[in-house]
Amino acid sequence: MAACGQDNGVVTRFGLDQAGDDVFFEDGFKVHPMNEPSVGPLAWVNGSDAPEKTVIDLGFIALSDCASVVVAATQGFAQPYGLTLNLKRQTSWANLRDKLVSGELDAAHSLYGLIYAVHLGIGGVAPTDMAVLMGLNQNGQSLNLSHGLQGLGVTSPEALDRHVHQTRAKLTFAQTFPTGTHAMWLYYWLASQGIHPLQDVDSVVVPPPQMVAHLQAGRIDGLCVGEPWAASAVQQNLGFTLATSQTIWPDHPEKVLGCTQAFVEQYPNTARALVMAILEASRFIEQSPENRRSTAQLLSAAEYLDAPVACVEPRFLGAYDDGLGNRWQDPHALRFHGDGEVNLPYLSDGMWFMTQFRRWGLLRDDPDYLGVARQVQQLELYREAATAVGVAAWGKEMRSSQLLDGKVWDGSDPAGYARSFKLHALSDSSALLARR
Amino acid sequence: MLRILLINDTAKKVGRLKAALIEAGFEVIDESGLTIDLPARVETVRPDVILIDTESPGRDVMEQVVLVSRDQPRPIVMFTDEHDPDVMRQAIKSGVSAYIVEGIHAQRLQPILDVAMARFESDQALRAQLQARDQQLAERKRIELAKGLLMKMKDCNEEEAYTLMRRQAMSRQQKLIQVAEQIIAMSELLG
Repeated sequence: MAACGQDNGVVTRFGLDQAGDDVFFEDGFKVHPMNEPSVGPLAWVNGSDAPEKTVIDLGFIALSDCASVVVAATQGFAQPYGLTLNLKRQTSWANLRDKLVSGELDAAHSLYGLIYAVHLGIGGVAPTDMAVLMGLNQNGQSLNLSHGLQGLGVTSPEALDRHVHQTRAKLTFAQTFPTGTHAMWLYYWLASQGIHPLQDVDSVVVPPPQMVAHLQAGRIDGLCVGEPWAASAVQQNLGFTLATSQTIWPDHPEKVLGCTQAFVEQYPNTARALVMAILEASRFIEQSPENRRSTAQLLSAAEYLDAPVACVEPRFLGAYDDGLGNRWQDPHALRFHGDGEVNLPYLSDGMWFMTQFRRWGLLRDDPDYLGVARQVQQLELYREAATAVGVAAWGKEMRSSQLLDGKVWDGSDPAGYARSFKLHALSDSSALLARR
Repeated sequence: MLRILLINDTAKKVGRLKAALIEAGFEVIDESGLTIDLPARVETVRPDVILIDTESPGRDVMEQVVLVSRDQPRPIVMFTDEHDPDVMRQAIKSGVSAYIVEGIHAQRLQPILDVAMARFESDQALRAQLQARDQQLAERKRIELAKGLLMKMKDCNEEEAYTLMRRQAMSRQQKLIQVAEQIIAMSELLG
């Protein structure tokens, strides 16, 4: 193998003639993946499956739901597939978006809504063709209200509804990205309680790790964010959890492994290998309670979440304490695998975010919901990867769910669904007709 | 403007390149024979490109080039009168990005430098990939070794050994490779 070795005291140098694929991908990398039994017939049976790019810069935000990405990178899940994963923590979703689009990051732990917004040209940057390689997790986000509101007795949806409609000063709610999942959960929840998220309250964008500080400084009255930040606010007695995102939509889509379409086209084998490694890490996290617990311990390290284990672990294991004296074991807590249910990039999941962009006036016209979802969701590549590591990849492209307002979403009539809500901000004339 | 470290290793008093470089609009930093410590000069001058003008690159020149390539890689262009293909090969192997025999014209310098820099960048990317590859392979071997030791010690199967190692690594906020090294070290200690 060409290497930077000593040869009679002279350091030899790599020649360009050695740049052929054969140099990088010897048999040693193909035949003995670390978890032998899980490797299916599609994996590495021939050399052409070798990753085109072997060193991957992988972005993430300090959130408990980045776990499978961190575990894959640090616990030897990528090496058997010839990949080295370099974790790159980002300070905000906007920051992560910029680096993903510029190519500084190859792939990233991303908000579902961020990937779709960038693809549709409403993500704050020029439209760029984007791709969702797999779902990383479901559930586990929270809507908190401040200690101040708690003092005023605003501790239930009804009390919040009364407060919003009877008080002059508008409350300020924080989410994490204008088109992100937290904005959509916040809007959906508020609207389901009769509060118009764009008229009755103000909303601001705050990066997840800064939420607690904003709450402490009294700059915001409520927030919607991932863990451990909502739990941290509760523990520091700065607020309480009014609702979890899983009460809005049990097993809702949340973070995805996102990248540009250009990346998938240029490095299809790398993309597939990356999905395989992260799928195996996801499965490992859920294999036993011990694995889950040690994952929480890993995440709390300074280079990942930089938060106390006591703050990360409980909700990571599904144990909730809302700060109002209620404690429960949540049946729809944050999950990473669910035998593959979590990871399949359903077309209907991607389409749902577009229906909400439409509902809230972020999209002026109906996009080609199904066409766009087919372009973004890398179902084929996911199925190859899942099959190769022995994870079920059903033939389904859509799934059906009932959300907290009783509405059923199954992907069948996206334009009609987007128009079906009582509270909305649809901007075209047909919407006005549909309103009442 | 490109900053060029010019090394004149010819018998002529005034290097033939300097005038051509200045005419072509480059910033020429230095001009000295090869009695200097090239890596040290590169460290202080921090040039974008190193140009070596030499009648025939001898062993001394090659050694200096190798040291620079190893410790502070830079695009290196060599202008020479030496036609011998073996010498050329040796020069490229030592880390020269472009080897130009004879014929120095001001108007040709820019394209030569462009090619040298592009070539250098792609060499660097390749080198980084190979190093990552080597490290990856080495880490995998160490992890496999540790897994084998653990399987013997705990009398468990492969998957259980991996799970034990990973759990240990994660609960101590370490990477798998770190725990593998600890197992290997412990096993060496206990003989």
